[in-house]
Amino acid sequence: MSLDFDIRGELGAFRLQARGQLDDTGVTVLFGPSGAGKSSLLRMLAGLLPSDGTLRLGEQVWQGEGARLSPWERPVGMMFQQPTLFRHLSVRGNLQYVVRRRGGEASLTAVIEQTRIASLLDRSVANLSGGEAQRVALARALLGSPRLLLLDEPLSALDLGHRESLLASIAEVGRRVPVLYVTHNLDELLTLADQVWLMESGRLTVLGEAHEALASLDSPFVLRSDAATLIEGTVSGFDAQDHLLTVTVGEHHFLLPARQAMPQGKPVRLRIAARDVSLCAQAPAASSILNIHPVAVSGVRSVGPGQSMVQLELGEQSLLARVSSRSVRQLALERGSRLFAQVKAVALV
Amino acid sequence: MLSEGDWLALWVSIKLALATTTILLLICTPLAWWLARHRLPGQALLEAVLALPLVLPPSVLGFYLLVALGPSGPGGWLASWSDARSLAFSFTGLVIASVIYSLPFVLQPLKNAFSAIDDGQLDMAAISGASPVDRFLSLVLPQSRQGYASAAILGFAHTIGEFGVVLMIGGSLAGQTRVASVALYEHVEAGDYASAHRLAMALLVLSVVMLWALFRWQRRSQPGVMP
Repeated sequence: MSLDFDIRGELGAFRLQARGQLDDTGVTVLFGPSGAGKSSLLRMLAGLLPSDGTLRLGEQVWQGEGARLSPWERPVGMMFQQPTLFRHLSVRGNLQYVVRRRGGEASLTAVIEQTRIASLLDRSVANLSGGEAQRVALARALLGSPRLLLLDEPLSALDLGHRESLLASIAEVGRRVPVLYVTHNLDELLTLADQVWLMESGRLTVLGEAHEALASLDSPFVLRSDAATLIEGTVSGFDAQDHLLTVTVGEHHFLLPARQAMPQGKPVRLRIAARDVSLCAQAPAASSILNIHPVAVSGVRSVGPGQSMVQLELGEQSLLARVSSRSVRQLALERGSRLFAQVKAVALV
Repeated sequence: MLSEGDWLALWVSIKLALATTTILLLICTPLAWWLARHRLPGQALLEAVLALPLVLPPSVLGFYLLVALGPSGPGGWLASWSDARSLAFSFTGLVIASVIYSLPFVLQPLKNAFSAIDDGQLDMAAISGASPVDRFLSLVLPQSRQGYASAAILGFAHTIGEFGVVLMIGGSLAGQTRVASVALYEHVEAGDYASAHRLAMALLVLSVVMLWALFRWQRRSQPGVMP
């Protein structure tokens, strides 16, 4: 069921205005600088902060048309920036608190396993580490069969190992209900995002599909040193001797290191960092770089002193290359220029 | 050992303290919640009035209560419903006076406990499907356990220790309004120091035990409540 909203709210002198739609499934990443109003938007959607305007999930009106559901009447699973575990209850008590009120006893075991908190169940929440507390808070948000999941930097305190498995759990929930996910972390965005939204000084901008938003020269992502693009392709081969996986993207074939073969035809996402792409006018005769593809320039933008971002067309999809402004001048790069992109590193997300 | 009259006085004191504490816990729960969680005009004045018993000489309070509870005050009007002339010199009158006199000792710990509850905890409980009443019972009460223990023990102990107010409005009727502290005073007046010693010791032990229980309990329960 999709979430439609058109709301306004004031917090002291700060004004927030947001209009959008969350598809009935999929993860939407909400990006933006600190203090832009991301957390406030989540709180307004949950009903914890007052707002005017309309808000509904599918046919159920949460707000507007004379109705207003209280937070405890909205079927929302939520995680604040702070884990906010009930401090008078054990870990198990925290989970039971939701289950007793929202139901979802059946999913309890699965959620405990996904978030890897089985060994923590009888602990007091006062003695949990930051990462442990976050996992318990995520488990609590996933319980109770929510029809909308609002997550505010849910993995910020987690180490890499746990982060990956929890990202997979969140992505899985995203296949059933809409998920709105606040993060500053580009890795998390690249892994999870189907849609990308941007919040700046209280205003929401819908940037669209993740791979388009990332490759757009207008998006704020191109200003980051870790700017990257997503390319969608399908697995088409594996060289067991060199441990190289072939992924076909349109007419192009990318080779990337992999431990083992993957099923033929499996759709995958490739992540290519803009700083790992270099440009040359002619295809080099011999190079250590495996992925060299003919591309066409579709845009150039300065992204800092002496630094430029070049948007490239690779078949139907877009790539970014971060190069020096001098190179842009020497290669006379402009819209329509045809040249070769050397991609130094490609990763599966 | 204590004489029968002293046991009776001690029993009246305990009965009075129990009734007062129970009533105060019921009154102060919504009052403390309102004072702790809201900012409204006139609040400072209200809090000052509620804290008056802390600084006012008990005899001043007792005098006003005597007037208020007497035949020509609102207390007398109330008493006329039950065929009495006045609420002064009655157990009911003592309970009303004690409720006013001990109110800040119950209100303050509850207010502190409610102020200490994090907004995030309440928000999270709401997100977890808990209505306001449910949140109060399932989150606020358990997280305010210590505040309730302090409030109950302080309210009880302070009522047991009451003297000036009771002297003004009690009238020392055996089994009704003669509380232990007044009985002790009367022993001293009569020069019966032996009885005075025994009763004083009983009150001293009772007070020490109550406060010891309070502090011991606070010490024990502290670590688990820390964030």
